[in-house]
Amino acid sequence: MKDMDEREIMGLIESLLFVSGDAIPAKRIAEFLNMDVRKVRKLMERLIDVFNFERRGLQVIRVDDSYQLATRPEYGEYIDKFFGSDKKQTLSQAVLETLSIIAYRQPITRMDIELIRGVKCEYAINVLIDKGLIKEVGRLDAPGRPILYGTTNLFLRSFGLSSLEDLPPLQE
Amino acid sequence: MDYHVKLDLFEGPLDLLLHLISKAKIKIEDVSITEITEQYLDYLDKMKKFDVEIASEFLVMAATLLYIKSRALLPKPQIQEDDEFDPEQDLIRRLAEYKKYKEVSEKLKERKKIYSNIYYKLPEELVYKKDESTTSIIEGDVNDLISAFVKLMAQKKFHRTERIFYPVHKRSITVSQRINQIKRILNKKVQCSFFQLFEEHYYRSDVVVTFLALLEMLKDNQIRIFQQGQFEDIIIRRAK
Repeated sequence: MKDMDEREIMGLIESLLFVSGDAIPAKRIAEFLNMDVRKVRKLMERLIDVFNFERRGLQVIRVDDSYQLATRPEYGEYIDKFFGSDKKQTLSQAVLETLSIIAYRQPITRMDIELIRGVKCEYAINVLIDKGLIKEVGRLDAPGRPILYGTTNLFLRSFGLSSLEDLPPLQE
Repeated sequence: MDYHVKLDLFEGPLDLLLHLISKAKIKIEDVSITEITEQYLDYLDKMKKFDVEIASEFLVMAATLLYIKSRALLPKPQIQEDDEFDPEQDLIRRLAEYKKYKEVSEKLKERKKIYSNIYYKLPEELVYKKDESTTSIIEGDVNDLISAFVKLMAQKKFHRTERIFYPVHKRSITVSQRINQIKRILNKKVQCSFFQLFEEHYYRSDVVVTFLALLEMLKDNQIRIFQQGQFEDIIIRRAK
Protein backbone atom coordinates (compact mmCIF):
# COMPACT_ATOMS: atom_id res chain seq x y z
CA MET A 1 0.00 0.00 0.00
CA LYS A 2 3.10 2.15 0.21
CA ASP A 3 2.97 3.70 -3.25
CA MET A 4 -0.77 4.29 -3.42
CA ASP A 5 -1.91 7.82 -4.02
CA GLU A 6 -4.82 9.33 -2.12
CA ARG A 7 -7.35 8.46 -4.78
CA GLU A 8 -6.30 4.84 -4.67
CA ILE A 9 -6.43 4.73 -0.88
CA MET A 10 -9.93 6.20 -1.01
CA GLY A 11 -10.87 3.51 -3.52
CA LEU A 12 -9.44 0.85 -1.25
CA ILE A 13 -11.41 2.15 1.73
CA GLU A 14 -14.54 2.23 -0.40
CA SER A 15 -14.08 -1.44 -1.28
CA LEU A 16 -13.51 -2.31 2.39
CA LEU A 17 -16.74 -0.53 3.30
CA PHE A 18 -18.59 -2.49 0.63
CA VAL A 19 -17.37 -5.87 1.83
CA SER A 20 -17.93 -4.98 5.47
CA GLY A 21 -21.51 -3.77 5.13
CA ASP A 22 -21.33 -2.81 8.79
CA ALA A 23 -19.70 0.42 9.89
CA ILE A 24 -15.89 0.37 10.21
CA PRO A 25 -14.28 2.52 12.93
CA ALA A 26 -11.83 5.16 11.66
CA LYS A 27 -9.27 3.73 14.06
CA ARG A 28 -9.34 0.30 12.40
CA ILE A 29 -8.86 1.79 8.96
CA ALA A 30 -5.97 3.87 10.26
CA GLU A 31 -4.29 0.86 11.86
CA PHE A 32 -4.68 -1.20 8.70
CA LEU A 33 -3.30 1.51 6.43
CA ASN A 34 -0.67 2.49 8.96
CA MET A 35 -1.89 6.06 8.80
CA ASP A 36 -2.70 8.78 11.27
CA VAL A 37 -6.36 8.56 12.29
CA ARG A 38 -6.82 12.28 11.61
CA LYS A 39 -5.55 11.74 8.09
CA VAL A 40 -8.05 8.90 7.65
CA ARG A 41 -10.88 11.15 8.83
CA LYS A 42 -9.81 13.79 6.33
CA LEU A 43 -9.74 11.26 3.49
CA MET A 44 -13.14 9.97 4.55
CA GLU A 45 -14.56 13.50 4.45
CA ARG A 46 -13.35 13.69 0.87
CA LEU A 47 -14.85 10.31 0.03
CA ILE A 48 -18.16 11.45 1.52
CA ASP A 49 -17.95 14.61 -0.61
CA VAL A 50 -17.28 12.62 -3.77
CA PHE A 51 -20.37 10.48 -3.21
CA ASN A 52 -22.48 13.55 -2.44
CA PHE A 53 -21.16 15.61 -5.32
CA GLU A 54 -21.97 12.92 -7.85
CA ARG A 55 -25.40 12.39 -6.26
CA ARG A 56 -24.83 8.68 -6.18
CA GLY A 57 -27.45 6.23 -4.94
CA LEU A 58 -25.04 5.23 -2.25
CA GLN A 59 -23.49 7.41 0.38
CA VAL A 60 -20.79 7.07 2.97
CA ILE A 61 -22.17 7.92 6.38
CA ARG A 62 -20.34 8.70 9.55
CA VAL A 63 -21.74 7.46 12.83
CA ASP A 64 -19.71 7.83 16.03
CA ASP A 65 -16.37 7.98 14.24
CA SER A 66 -17.18 4.93 12.12
CA TYR A 67 -17.91 4.89 8.40
CA GLN A 68 -20.45 2.90 6.48
CA LEU A 69 -21.68 2.50 2.92
CA ALA A 70 -25.43 2.88 2.75
CA THR A 71 -28.24 3.92 0.44
CA ARG A 72 -29.30 7.54 0.37
CA PRO A 73 -32.26 8.40 2.61
CA GLU A 74 -34.22 10.16 -0.16
CA TYR A 75 -34.48 6.85 -1.98
CA GLY A 76 -35.69 4.98 1.08
CA GLU A 77 -39.36 5.15 0.22
CA TYR A 78 -38.78 3.99 -3.37
CA ILE A 79 -36.66 1.09 -2.15
CA ASP A 80 -39.49 0.11 0.18
CA LYS A 81 -41.97 0.37 -2.67
CA PHE A 82 -39.84 -1.66 -5.10
CA PHE A 83 -39.26 -4.49 -2.64
CA GLY A 84 -42.67 -4.17 -1.01
CA SER A 85 -41.09 -3.84 2.39
CA ASP A 86 -42.96 -2.64 5.42
CA LYS A 87 -42.55 0.97 6.36
CA LYS A 88 -40.15 1.15 9.24
CA GLN A 89 -41.86 1.95 12.49
CA THR A 90 -41.17 4.71 14.92
CA LEU A 91 -40.91 3.80 18.56
CA SER A 92 -42.57 5.73 21.37
CA GLN A 93 -40.52 7.14 24.22
CA ALA A 94 -41.72 4.45 26.61
CA VAL A 95 -40.74 1.71 24.19
CA LEU A 96 -37.36 3.30 23.46
CA GLU A 97 -36.52 3.64 27.15
CA THR A 98 -37.42 0.01 27.75
CA LEU A 99 -35.34 -1.03 24.77
CA SER A 100 -32.35 0.98 26.02
CA ILE A 101 -32.49 -0.66 29.43
CA ILE A 102 -32.66 -4.12 27.85
CA ALA A 103 -29.83 -3.32 25.44
CA TYR A 104 -27.44 -2.28 28.20
CA ARG A 105 -28.53 -4.60 30.97
CA GLN A 106 -29.35 -7.83 29.14
CA PRO A 107 -30.22 -10.46 30.06
CA ILE A 108 -32.78 -8.75 32.29
CA THR A 109 -36.18 -9.61 33.72
CA ARG A 110 -39.28 -7.48 33.34
CA MET A 111 -39.25 -6.74 37.04
CA ASP A 112 -35.76 -5.27 36.90
CA ILE A 113 -36.72 -3.10 33.94
CA GLU A 114 -39.76 -1.85 35.83
CA LEU A 115 -37.61 -1.14 38.88
CA ILE A 116 -35.44 1.18 36.80
CA ARG A 117 -38.28 2.90 34.94
CA GLY A 118 -40.64 3.04 37.89
CA VAL A 119 -43.59 2.07 35.71
CA LYS A 120 -45.10 -1.08 34.27
CA CYS A 121 -43.37 -2.18 31.08
CA GLU A 122 -45.50 -5.08 29.93
CA TYR A 123 -46.89 -3.21 26.93
CA ALA A 124 -43.51 -1.86 25.84
CA ILE A 125 -41.98 -5.34 26.07
CA ASN A 126 -44.78 -6.83 23.97
CA VAL A 127 -44.32 -4.13 21.33
CA LEU A 128 -40.58 -4.83 21.21
CA ILE A 129 -41.14 -8.57 20.87
CA ASP A 130 -43.72 -8.00 18.12
CA LYS A 131 -41.24 -5.85 16.23
CA GLY A 132 -38.56 -8.47 16.67
CA LEU A 133 -36.19 -6.12 18.48
CA ILE A 134 -35.98 -8.21 21.64
CA LYS A 135 -36.48 -11.87 22.43
CA GLU A 136 -36.65 -14.26 25.31
CA VAL A 137 -33.11 -15.43 25.99
CA GLY A 138 -33.68 -17.67 28.96
CA ARG A 139 -35.09 -17.86 32.44
CA LEU A 140 -33.69 -16.56 35.68
CA ASP A 141 -32.95 -19.23 38.26
CA ALA A 142 -35.20 -17.63 40.85
CA PRO A 143 -38.72 -18.22 42.19
CA GLY A 144 -41.22 -18.13 39.35
CA ARG A 145 -38.40 -18.58 36.85
CA PRO A 146 -39.00 -15.14 35.27
CA ILE A 147 -38.21 -14.62 31.58
CA LEU A 148 -34.94 -12.95 30.71
CA TYR A 149 -34.96 -10.59 27.75
CA GLY A 150 -32.18 -9.67 25.34
CA THR A 151 -31.87 -7.80 22.07
CA THR A 152 -31.93 -9.44 18.62
CA ASN A 153 -29.81 -9.08 15.49
CA LEU A 154 -32.63 -7.03 14.00
CA PHE A 155 -32.13 -4.56 16.84
CA LEU A 156 -28.45 -4.18 15.93
CA ARG A 157 -29.29 -3.69 12.27
CA SER A 158 -32.12 -1.20 12.80
CA PHE A 159 -29.81 0.92 14.90
CA GLY A 160 -26.79 0.47 12.65
CA LEU A 161 -24.75 -1.40 15.24
CA SER A 162 -22.39 -4.21 14.33
CA SER A 163 -22.28 -5.51 17.90
CA LEU A 164 -23.45 -4.59 21.38
CA GLU A 165 -20.02 -3.15 22.06
CA ASP A 166 -20.87 -0.41 19.57
CA LEU A 167 -23.67 0.92 21.78
CA PRO A 168 -23.04 4.54 22.79
CA PRO A 169 -21.46 4.57 26.26
CA LEU A 170 -23.69 5.28 29.25
CA GLN A 171 -23.10 8.64 30.90
CA GLU A 172 -22.05 8.05 34.48
CA MET B 1 -64.61 29.57 24.05
CA ASP B 2 -62.37 26.59 24.37
CA TYR B 3 -59.33 26.61 26.48
CA HIS B 4 -56.48 24.41 25.49
CA VAL B 5 -54.10 23.75 28.24
CA LYS B 6 -50.96 21.90 27.49
CA LEU B 7 -50.04 19.39 30.08
CA ASP B 8 -46.75 17.66 29.57
CA LEU B 9 -47.08 13.94 29.70
CA PHE B 10 -44.53 11.89 31.52
CA GLU B 11 -43.44 8.33 31.18
CA GLY B 12 -43.74 7.79 34.89
CA PRO B 13 -43.11 9.33 38.29
CA LEU B 14 -39.32 9.24 37.83
CA ASP B 15 -39.66 11.02 34.51
CA LEU B 16 -41.82 13.70 36.12
CA LEU B 17 -39.35 14.13 39.00
CA LEU B 18 -36.44 14.49 36.58
CA HIS B 19 -38.39 17.14 34.70
CA LEU B 20 -39.04 19.10 37.90
CA ILE B 21 -35.39 18.81 38.90
CA SER B 22 -34.10 20.01 35.53
CA LYS B 23 -36.59 22.89 35.60
CA ALA B 24 -35.19 23.93 38.96
CA LYS B 25 -31.73 23.67 37.40
CA ILE B 26 -30.20 21.61 40.15
CA LYS B 27 -28.17 18.45 40.17
CA ILE B 28 -29.85 15.26 41.21
CA GLU B 29 -27.50 14.83 44.17
CA ASP B 30 -28.38 18.30 45.50
CA VAL B 31 -32.11 17.91 45.27
CA SER B 32 -34.17 18.89 48.25
CA ILE B 33 -36.88 16.28 48.27
CA THR B 34 -39.04 18.53 50.45
CA GLU B 35 -39.20 21.25 47.80
CA ILE B 36 -39.70 18.89 44.94
CA THR B 37 -42.53 17.16 46.80
CA GLU B 38 -44.54 20.39 46.70
CA GLN B 39 -44.19 20.69 42.94
CA TYR B 40 -44.83 17.03 42.41
CA LEU B 41 -48.12 17.19 44.29
CA ASP B 42 -49.05 20.37 42.40
CA TYR B 43 -48.63 18.52 39.18
CA LEU B 44 -50.80 15.63 40.34
CA ASP B 45 -53.46 18.20 41.28
CA LYS B 46 -53.31 19.60 37.77
CA MET B 47 -53.70 16.16 36.34
CA LYS B 48 -56.76 15.60 38.46
CA LYS B 49 -58.23 18.91 37.35
CA PHE B 50 -57.84 17.98 33.71
CA ASP B 51 -59.31 14.57 34.27
CA VAL B 52 -56.13 12.79 33.38
CA GLU B 53 -56.16 9.38 34.89
CA ILE B 54 -53.38 9.12 37.41
CA ALA B 55 -51.55 5.86 37.27
CA SER B 56 -51.01 4.16 40.59
CA GLU B 57 -47.24 4.50 40.24
CA PHE B 58 -47.59 8.28 40.56
CA LEU B 59 -49.49 7.85 43.80
CA VAL B 60 -46.93 5.44 45.19
CA MET B 61 -44.24 8.01 44.45
CA ALA B 62 -46.30 10.74 46.14
CA ALA B 63 -46.50 8.57 49.24
CA THR B 64 -42.74 7.94 49.13
CA LEU B 65 -42.04 11.66 48.82
CA LEU B 66 -44.31 12.49 51.72
CA TYR B 67 -42.69 9.78 53.78
CA ILE B 68 -39.25 11.24 53.10
CA LYS B 69 -40.53 14.70 53.97
CA SER B 70 -42.04 13.50 57.23
CA ARG B 71 -38.80 11.78 58.17
CA ALA B 72 -36.96 15.06 57.69
CA LEU B 73 -39.38 16.82 60.04
CA LEU B 74 -39.07 14.33 62.85
CA PRO B 75 -36.08 14.40 65.16
CA LYS B 76 -33.55 11.77 64.33
CA PRO B 77 -33.02 8.95 66.80
CA GLN B 78 -29.94 9.39 68.95
CA ILE B 79 -28.32 6.15 67.98
CA GLN B 80 -27.64 6.09 64.26
CA GLU B 81 -27.61 2.72 62.73
CA ASP B 82 -25.14 2.51 59.91
CA ASP B 83 -27.03 0.25 57.60
CA GLU B 84 -30.33 1.99 58.08
CA PHE B 85 -32.29 2.24 54.86
CA ASP B 86 -32.45 5.86 53.72
CA PRO B 87 -35.40 6.32 51.34
CA GLU B 88 -34.09 9.71 50.20
CA GLN B 89 -30.72 8.33 49.12
CA ASP B 90 -32.48 5.39 47.53
CA LEU B 91 -34.74 7.66 45.51
CA ILE B 92 -31.81 9.82 44.40
CA ARG B 93 -29.93 6.71 43.32
CA ARG B 94 -32.95 5.52 41.34
CA LEU B 95 -33.34 8.92 39.70
CA ALA B 96 -29.69 8.94 38.61
CA GLU B 97 -30.01 5.42 37.25
CA TYR B 98 -33.17 6.23 35.31
CA LYS B 99 -31.65 9.43 33.94
CA LYS B 100 -28.74 7.43 32.51
CA TYR B 101 -31.06 5.25 30.43
CA LYS B 102 -33.38 8.09 29.50
CA GLU B 103 -30.44 10.03 28.08
CA VAL B 104 -29.03 7.11 26.17
CA SER B 105 -32.45 6.36 24.72
CA GLU B 106 -32.31 9.82 23.13
CA LYS B 107 -29.06 8.82 21.45
CA LEU B 108 -30.57 5.57 20.25
CA LYS B 109 -33.52 7.54 18.89
CA GLU B 110 -31.11 9.63 16.83
CA ARG B 111 -29.45 6.51 15.48
CA LYS B 112 -32.82 5.03 14.65
CA LYS B 113 -33.67 8.18 12.73
CA ILE B 114 -30.49 7.91 10.69
CA TYR B 115 -31.00 4.26 9.95
CA SER B 116 -34.75 4.22 9.36
CA ASN B 117 -34.55 5.44 5.77
CA ILE B 118 -31.34 3.89 4.60
CA TYR B 119 -30.26 0.39 3.83
CA TYR B 120 -26.88 -1.20 4.03
CA LYS B 121 -25.81 -4.66 3.06
CA LEU B 122 -24.93 -7.64 5.18
CA PRO B 123 -21.23 -8.31 5.64
CA GLU B 124 -19.74 -10.66 3.07
CA GLU B 125 -19.39 -14.19 4.32
CA LEU B 126 -15.64 -14.43 4.21
CA VAL B 127 -13.77 -17.47 5.36
CA TYR B 128 -11.60 -16.29 8.17
CA LYS B 129 -8.17 -17.69 8.75
CA LYS B 130 -8.33 -20.25 11.49
CA ASP B 131 -6.25 -19.51 14.48
CA GLU B 132 -4.88 -22.90 15.51
CA SER B 133 -4.61 -22.07 19.18
CA THR B 134 -8.27 -21.21 19.44
CA THR B 135 -10.17 -23.48 17.10
CA SER B 136 -13.43 -21.72 16.71
CA ILE B 137 -15.77 -24.24 18.17
CA ILE B 138 -19.05 -22.68 19.02
CA GLU B 139 -21.08 -24.24 21.74
CA GLY B 140 -24.60 -24.63 20.45
CA ASP B 141 -28.04 -24.55 21.94
CA VAL B 142 -31.41 -26.03 21.12
CA ASN B 143 -31.94 -23.62 18.22
CA ASP B 144 -28.83 -24.94 16.47
CA LEU B 145 -30.12 -28.48 16.86
CA ILE B 146 -33.44 -27.50 15.37
CA SER B 147 -31.92 -25.80 12.34
CA ALA B 148 -29.68 -28.82 11.77
CA PHE B 149 -32.77 -31.01 11.92
CA VAL B 150 -34.59 -28.85 9.38
CA LYS B 151 -31.56 -29.17 7.11
CA LEU B 152 -31.54 -32.93 7.57
CA MET B 153 -35.21 -33.27 6.71
CA ALA B 154 -34.65 -31.28 3.55
CA GLN B 155 -32.38 -34.06 2.30
CA LYS B 156 -33.84 -36.15 -0.47
CA LYS B 157 -33.96 -39.48 1.30
CA PHE B 158 -36.46 -38.22 3.81
CA HIS B 159 -38.82 -36.94 1.17
CA ARG B 160 -42.02 -38.85 0.78
CA THR B 161 -41.76 -41.72 -1.67
CA GLU B 162 -43.87 -41.65 -4.80
CA ARG B 163 -45.77 -44.66 -3.62
CA ILE B 164 -49.05 -43.73 -2.11
CA PHE B 165 -49.43 -47.02 -0.33
CA TYR B 166 -46.65 -48.53 1.61
CA PRO B 167 -46.52 -51.00 4.42
CA VAL B 168 -46.89 -49.49 7.84
CA HIS B 169 -44.33 -50.86 10.21
CA LYS B 170 -44.82 -50.87 13.86
CA ARG B 171 -41.67 -49.31 15.14
CA SER B 172 -40.88 -50.43 18.58
CA ILE B 173 -38.08 -48.04 19.45
CA THR B 174 -38.97 -45.46 22.07
CA VAL B 175 -37.27 -42.23 23.01
CA SER B 176 -35.76 -43.71 26.16
CA GLN B 177 -34.40 -46.68 24.21
CA ARG B 178 -32.84 -44.34 21.72
CA ILE B 179 -31.32 -42.28 24.55
CA ASN B 180 -29.67 -45.47 25.82
CA GLN B 181 -28.38 -46.26 22.34
CA ILE B 182 -26.88 -42.80 21.97
CA LYS B 183 -25.34 -43.13 25.43
CA ARG B 184 -23.72 -46.39 24.37
CA ILE B 185 -22.32 -44.77 21.23
CA LEU B 186 -20.92 -41.91 23.29
CA ASN B 187 -19.41 -44.36 25.76
CA LYS B 188 -17.50 -46.04 22.97
CA LYS B 189 -16.46 -42.86 21.22
CA VAL B 190 -15.87 -39.50 22.82
CA GLN B 191 -18.06 -37.73 20.35
CA CYS B 192 -20.31 -38.41 17.42
CA SER B 193 -21.71 -36.46 14.54
CA PHE B 194 -25.28 -35.25 14.40
CA PHE B 195 -25.83 -36.35 10.83
CA GLN B 196 -24.27 -39.78 11.40
CA LEU B 197 -26.83 -40.53 14.07
CA PHE B 198 -29.52 -40.37 11.42
CA GLU B 199 -27.73 -42.33 8.75
CA GLU B 200 -29.28 -45.78 9.18
CA HIS B 201 -32.74 -44.40 9.83
CA TYR B 202 -34.97 -43.87 6.89
CA TYR B 203 -38.28 -43.85 8.63
CA ARG B 204 -39.59 -40.54 9.71
CA SER B 205 -40.63 -41.89 13.07
CA ASP B 206 -37.08 -43.06 13.79
CA VAL B 207 -35.71 -39.71 12.79
CA VAL B 208 -38.18 -37.96 15.05
CA VAL B 209 -37.41 -40.31 17.94
CA THR B 210 -33.67 -39.68 17.52
CA PHE B 211 -34.23 -35.95 17.47
CA LEU B 212 -36.45 -36.07 20.55
CA ALA B 213 -33.84 -38.17 22.31
CA LEU B 214 -31.19 -35.55 21.58
CA LEU B 215 -33.42 -32.73 22.81
CA GLU B 216 -34.19 -34.68 25.97
CA MET B 217 -30.51 -35.40 26.62
CA LEU B 218 -29.57 -31.78 26.01
CA LYS B 219 -32.25 -30.63 28.42
CA ASP B 220 -31.00 -33.00 31.11
CA ASN B 221 -27.43 -31.81 30.55
CA GLN B 222 -26.32 -35.28 29.55
CA ILE B 223 -24.77 -34.05 26.33
CA ARG B 224 -23.27 -30.87 24.98
CA ILE B 225 -23.28 -29.86 21.36
CA PHE B 226 -20.63 -28.03 19.39
CA GLN B 227 -20.32 -26.66 15.90
CA GLN B 228 -17.22 -25.70 13.96
CA GLY B 229 -19.04 -22.89 12.27
CA GLN B 230 -22.34 -21.94 10.78
CA PHE B 231 -24.02 -24.64 8.64
CA GLU B 232 -21.47 -27.28 9.61
CA ASP B 233 -22.14 -30.62 11.21
CA ILE B 234 -23.00 -30.61 14.89
CA ILE B 235 -20.75 -32.59 17.18
CA ILE B 236 -22.33 -34.29 20.15
CA ARG B 237 -20.26 -34.90 23.24
CA ARG B 238 -20.94 -36.38 26.60
CA ALA B 239 -21.30 -33.71 29.29
CA LYS B 240 -18.69 -34.09 31.97
